[in-house]
Amino acid sequence: MAEPAGFETDFWKDANLRKVWEDIVPGEPRKTIPYTLTPEAIALYCKSVGETHPLYFDEAYAKTTRYGGLIAPPSIHILLMFSCTPADDWMRSPGTVNAGQSWSYNIPARPNDVITLHARALDKFIKRERLFVVHDNVFFNQHGDVICSGRGWTIRPK
Amino acid sequence: MTTTFETLTAGDVIDGPSFAVSRESIRLFCDASLDYNPLHLDDDYMKGNFGKTHFGGIIMHGMNNFGLISRMITDWAYPLGAIHRRLETRWIKPVKPGDVIRPTGIVKSKQASAKSRWVLLDVMVRNQNDEKVATGEAMVEFPHD
Repeated sequence: MAEPAGFETDFWKDANLRKVWEDIVPGEPRKTIPYTLTPEAIALYCKSVGETHPLYFDEAYAKTTRYGGLIAPPSIHILLMFSCTPADDWMRSPGTVNAGQSWSYNIPARPNDVITLHARALDKFIKRERLFVVHDNVFFNQHGDVICSGRGWTIRPK
Repeated sequence: MTTTFETLTAGDVIDGPSFAVSRESIRLFCDASLDYNPLHLDDDYMKGNFGKTHFGGIIMHGMNNFGLISRMITDWAYPLGAIHRRLETRWIKPVKPGDVIRPTGIVKSKQASAKSRWVLLDVMVRNQNDEKVATGEAMVEFPHD
């Protein structure tokens, strides 16, 4: 397992601590926590989607490329979204349905990067009787460089 | 013929990897993404209704589609010296254990900006019944260097 120490996998446990749709304030920052992206976590993520490119595993090969060393796949932000947020973050509310996401990639994340996240709800609205929240997110490495930025649309549990 | 920015044309197709969805693959994605939402774990919970939607059982993470599309794009772009710069996706239909899904990309257009060159892709994921389960757009940079 590559989950961070103390990561709570029972999303029901802190459900009563999380903001519901009415409580979420667009523009208000979400609490975030720094996360060290381990080679093991990258490997597990790669396994889950069948990533086998040597840029992610073969350091000698990776050094010969424009990247100069091992990198993580761009979509590693899927993991970072949960590893950089605490257990009471509303993204973990059971029943949260992901309706779509858009991400822009600047530089790759690398093994052992210490990742930080700036995140907030950006908008909320009701459409076809569903409660939506738009969230936006920017991940940085330990040098303050932007790794990627993205926006997502979630349907909130009622 | 070697594929380059110059030789790419609208309508060119990128074939992505076939992916067999199972309860185990969904559980693995839970562990890899740390997304343990009961939508992906708890059959009893999924017997309920979500507004007007009834899933009837656990579903795959939408972001598993995203990861597969991203894998298709990078596996295509790296050998061309190109860089995956953007991906936007929408989920059309839930994916369930037993489904087999495959992403595809289609070159939509090429653009040159002041400092670089770009290929815009339409992307989608289809299931074994040829139904679209996800659609989106992507942007790949072809640097001059």
